Amino acid sequence: MRMEPAHAARAGSIRAAAVRQGENLAPLIAGLRRHIAGIEQAQPPIGGAPRRGLPWTMGLAELDRHLPAQGLLRSGLHDVSPYSYGDQPAAMGFALALAVRRLADAEERRPLLWCRLAKEEREYGRLHGHGLERLGLERRRFVTITLKKPSALLWTMEEALKSGALAVVLGDAEGARAGLTVTRRLALAAQAGKAACLLIFATPGAQATASQTRWTAASVPSRSPPHDAAAPGFPAWNIDLTRARGGRPGAWILEWHNALHGFSVVPGFRGRTLHPGEDQGGEDAAAEGPALRAG
Amino acid sequence: MAVNPIARSFGLMRGMRLADARAQLPELLSELHEAEEDMKSLLGLCRWMERYSPWVAPGAPDGILLDVTGVPHLFGGETKMIAEMKLRLGAYGFTAQHGLGDTIGAAWALARYTHPLPPAGEASPLRSNGGGEGESAGFDSPSPPRLRRVPSPALRERLENLPIEALRIDGDSARTLRRLGLKTVGGLLAIPRSSLARRFRGEAIGENVLLRLDEMMGVRDEPLNPLNPPSSFMAHRALMEPVTGAEGLDAVLTGVVNLLCRNLEGQGKGALRLILKLFRTDGSRISLPAGFSMATHDPRHMLRVLKPKLETIDAGFGIDAMTLEAREMTGAMARQYGFLEDHGTLGLEQLNDRVLNRHETEMVAMEAVESHIPERSEKALIRPVGHLLPRGPRGRRRLPDVPSPVRSMGEGGRRPDEGSSRPLLIFEQPEPVTVIASVPDGPPVRLTWRRVTRRVVKAQGPERVAPEWWRLVHGERPRDYYAIEDSQGRRYWLYRDGLYGETGEEPPRWFVHGLSA
Repeated sequence: MRMEPAHAARAGSIRAAAVRQGENLAPLIAGLRRHIAGIEQAQPPIGGAPRRGLPWTMGLAELDRHLPAQGLLRSGLHDVSPYSYGDQPAAMGFALALAVRRLADAEERRPLLWCRLAKEEREYGRLHGHGLERLGLERRRFVTITLKKPSALLWTMEEALKSGALAVVLGDAEGARAGLTVTRRLALAAQAGKAACLLIFATPGAQATASQTRWTAASVPSRSPPHDAAAPGFPAWNIDLTRARGGRPGAWILEWHNALHGFSVVPGFRGRTLHPGEDQGGEDAAAEGPALRAG
Repeated sequence: MAVNPIARSFGLMRGMRLADARAQLPELLSELHEAEEDMKSLLGLCRWMERYSPWVAPGAPDGILLDVTGVPHLFGGETKMIAEMKLRLGAYGFTAQHGLGDTIGAAWALARYTHPLPPAGEASPLRSNGGGEGESAGFDSPSPPRLRRVPSPALRERLENLPIEALRIDGDSARTLRRLGLKTVGGLLAIPRSSLARRFRGEAIGENVLLRLDEMMGVRDEPLNPLNPPSSFMAHRALMEPVTGAEGLDAVLTGVVNLLCRNLEGQGKGALRLILKLFRTDGSRISLPAGFSMATHDPRHMLRVLKPKLETIDAGFGIDAMTLEAREMTGAMARQYGFLEDHGTLGLEQLNDRVLNRHETEMVAMEAVESHIPERSEKALIRPVGHLLPRGPRGRRRLPDVPSPVRSMGEGGRRPDEGSSRPLLIFEQPEPVTVIASVPDGPPVRLTWRRVTRRVVKAQGPERVAPEWWRLVHGERPRDYYAIEDSQGRRYWLYRDGLYGETGEEPPRWFVHGLSA
């Protein structure tokens, strides 16, 4: 990274202060990280004012370690793909969980817009408000729109991101259409509107995009709740961070806790790296994944 | 017959027959009543009355209605204003009576029934030519005129003491009421509304006693149609040379929009619908409608919506005039922008306008409805955006802390966790599946959906959802919902339509209704 003189001077002063006081380096590093996050979001902090709001963390150290700035940048483009055909609800659920984490920030008061394609709604059903509430999204912060044409959807997403009226814009995307140019536009619009954009691909194996992070999601069997061994428990997904600009890829098996708005790692199981389009591994996932059965 | 004060001094009365009057006073001068001339004179007087208030309406046949909201202080108070009006009208030879009320009905009644002048008879076929017309000016002050106001207690008491004729009802109804012993407005108010509604529900307004009563008491609002129609908002630009290029049209549009917005803003109005008309040189016309979810007079927003529409048109040989008309206006407060406010950001409603005007699809918010039937448990809010959501990021307004009805239901009625089987995605049309399940109410063990067979590993249920008895649809059967998970961890929400072992019914069928994350 090329440092501009002002930034270099600032970093220097922070270091000098820390060395002078002979303290441990943790606050220094935290300060520098915030500073870098500021630069990367193209909004250098003015006059050293503290940046408002918390970063977009996953609330799980194992995950946040892999992400740039110990969390995701508050504005930018991210995409989620299903691992195979039936994993679309898992991908949507995970994208929603990310969005809920983003909305949990106390400084964030803007709503969320979910742009749906009519075709996708026919295939997987439309969003159900009670179900969204169950996953932790407040109903009054949720707006949706259904569009027939993919081009109209992309236009709407770009305008919504640019407007600055929304915190998160989620959208169904078709792999063939959301190429590098299109996603670059969305990423720029997200920067302009200080919003987060989450693209949910309909099919696995999307082409290259301008996303900051790329995730692949697959359903895995859930752990039953303690009081009912036969019932499904919290939603569980095998999440693969296939690409992270400024971070490290990784794979986890995550549970989403609806009430806590947080992830947890399912103990005793390691996530599988899901290479999109590798094979028709639906059956393997079941075999290798955590065949969890409590009791 | 109507009479002037001189005739009255000879003992003649309004409503007398001309023959009787002639017999009493042979030298009586009489003239035929000319309703049209009367109306003309009344309209002339109305225009003259505009010196007091811009909102003047003729109250045929013999009254004038003024909306004097916010006016009296200009004349030094209500009393002084009325004194001045009477003085000036008197100088023209009119005898005026006034009534000042919160509703049109109250003002009308007070003008006619509180002063010690002879009561207005129903028939005044003749007008005496002595110069004195029975003009009575009714004043009222609802503000603005369509808004109803409930009369203050003091006024209410005065109104209750008025005779029932003061209700602007016709003679027959009044006579019937009197025969029933109902002589005052107060007496009418004391009896149950339903019996009034049953007895007097005439088609004509004069027969509908309840309606008139409600109008007087401010229960129902009554519009006041002013003589001058409210100014319409339209901006027009005629061009010297026809314009074909997009840039030229943009410039003209900007001019027209700015003109209209200045007018709207000056009047404190905003437009909900706009119609942009482009006139081609060959005489044909293009009409481009645009809609807004909130009334606006912000030129930047209008341009944002209109410009993309302008790009789609075929200018032909050129456009030589452009008209922008505002339809469906409502009051819109001028918004003051902060010094540091970012003009680049849009409100959600403005964003919605852009999408709506381009793709004819609106954003939808879902509102929870208290019903256990999943497809009826929520409904889309039309034009949700303004009410439901906070303003843009820079707006000072915070989220209201008052719980919305939606929220309160979630917290009070049913906790979100309680209906924990509700799926993320729901099918508009539940999809039939074949299952293997234990009878009578076991969860499925194996299901085939979209031609793929899945082994069910976990299941929760049944959750019985019975048809709502108050809206029984023929053939609707109770459903048992199950949330199940297959061997790959995919979750389905399915139900059995009907019960096993019910005699005389076809066997139950299974449907997938939703998918969970």
